[in-house]
Amino acid sequence: MTSTPTNITSSPPTTAVSSTAANRAGRLAVRIGIAATLAISGVIHAYLYIHGYQYIPTSGTAFLVQASVFCALGVLVAAGGPAWLRWAGGVLSVAALIAFALSRTVGLSGFTEHGWNPAPQAAISVAAEALTVVLVAFTVLSRRRRTPIT
Amino acid sequence: MSSGRDPQGMTRRQLMVHSAWFGAAVVLTVAGGEVISHVAGSAGAAQTQARPTLRFAQISDSHIGFTGTANTSVTGTFTEAINQVNGLGFTPDFVIHTGDLTHLSKPAQFDQVKQMLTGLNTAHIFTVPGEHDSVDDGGQKYRQAFGAGTRGDGWYSFDIAGVHVIGLVNTLSFSKMGAGHLGTDQLDFIEKDVAPLSSDTPVIVFSHFPLFAMYPAWGWGTDDATQALSYLRRFSSVTCLNGHVHQLFTKTEGNITFHTATTTAYPLPHPGDGPAPKPVTLPAGKLHDALGIREVSYIKGQQTLALKEQKLS
Repeated sequence: MTSTPTNITSSPPTTAVSSTAANRAGRLAVRIGIAATLAISGVIHAYLYIHGYQYIPTSGTAFLVQASVFCALGVLVAAGGPAWLRWAGGVLSVAALIAFALSRTVGLSGFTEHGWNPAPQAAISVAAEALTVVLVAFTVLSRRRRTPIT
Repeated sequence: MSSGRDPQGMTRRQLMVHSAWFGAAVVLTVAGGEVISHVAGSAGAAQTQARPTLRFAQISDSHIGFTGTANTSVTGTFTEAINQVNGLGFTPDFVIHTGDLTHLSKPAQFDQVKQMLTGLNTAHIFTVPGEHDSVDDGGQKYRQAFGAGTRGDGWYSFDIAGVHVIGLVNTLSFSKMGAGHLGTDQLDFIEKDVAPLSSDTPVIVFSHFPLFAMYPAWGWGTDDATQALSYLRRFSSVTCLNGHVHQLFTKTEGNITFHTATTTAYPLPHPGDGPAPKPVTLPAGKLHDALGIREVSYIKGQQTLALKEQKLS
């Protein structure tokens, strides 16, 4: 005589719940990471604007705009804003990295800088923006994996 | 009655939520910009109230004697520049003209520009020569007009309000690419001139050609500037102001910042726009936007000079 298992489904739901919790924690960590890197880049640009860059024609104003936009995005992403805020942060970070590269090569709106000057702000800012791009790319790819292809 | 839901898109509620986030982004951006501007402005205002240690104006490339469609009255625009300096609201400690005072180094042109400069309301006027000021005589007529108290071929230095100022001549000989050249004598002068200074002395350097390689293909640089700058790298604040390129450009290299100035005569193309830097004729009414003057302030203890560019009004 064989007995019918009555409690066979109790284990899988527990695994599913813990997996979902882990995913949520992971997404929260990525979101906080994006917010932090955006804010770091914004604060550095604000610092540079206040400490001399305000006097550079065109680029000085660009530093002010970058600082205020990145800080705003950082706050809103941390507050749990929609996905497009993170994507905007990623796109703008790519733009900031391109602007950095231009300023070290052919110049950008009549402004060039040399190497990793001003140190350490330039290196920190580039690292923060690169990390933003990586984290945003990660969220986009994760989202595509979760969305079934029809 | 409409349900308010588009099956292909978002609900009205979702649209409102996204709009709210977008609005919050705009508001936060504007507010953040205001706060940063206010902080930057407060620092500047506090410094202004304390009266800047040094305030001067820079004008450049007046090209008195130029005739062409790019500017049919260089004397007119130069007069406007002088009037604008006089209308700054304060008396500058000095005014620096960073070269190409004349267009062809004619005696009459030197006489005219010297006469016009007397209209500046300032205690001191300093100049450095441009290549147009030494067309056929190695700068002899320039030095007769403006070389009093200078050394060598017209270079000099002085101290004012705790700031060390150096005026260089890099337009008397050129590299194969047409870049400016300082020469051994002047490099020796710079080395000895700054040797006794402490490293926290702010240094300002005037020259006509840029002391950085802005666009070597057009000779927009100084071939032996690296040597000169090596004597200046130990200073915490070095600001190099030049003319020649007729447009604003800024470059930073550690503690050394280069600022090219615009002109009071006519614009030149941006680097690489066209085969050569020929005067650009702008559409009617646009010329004044390309011309201007520069106001420079220095506050004791600050690492950077405060520059304010003004278009010719």
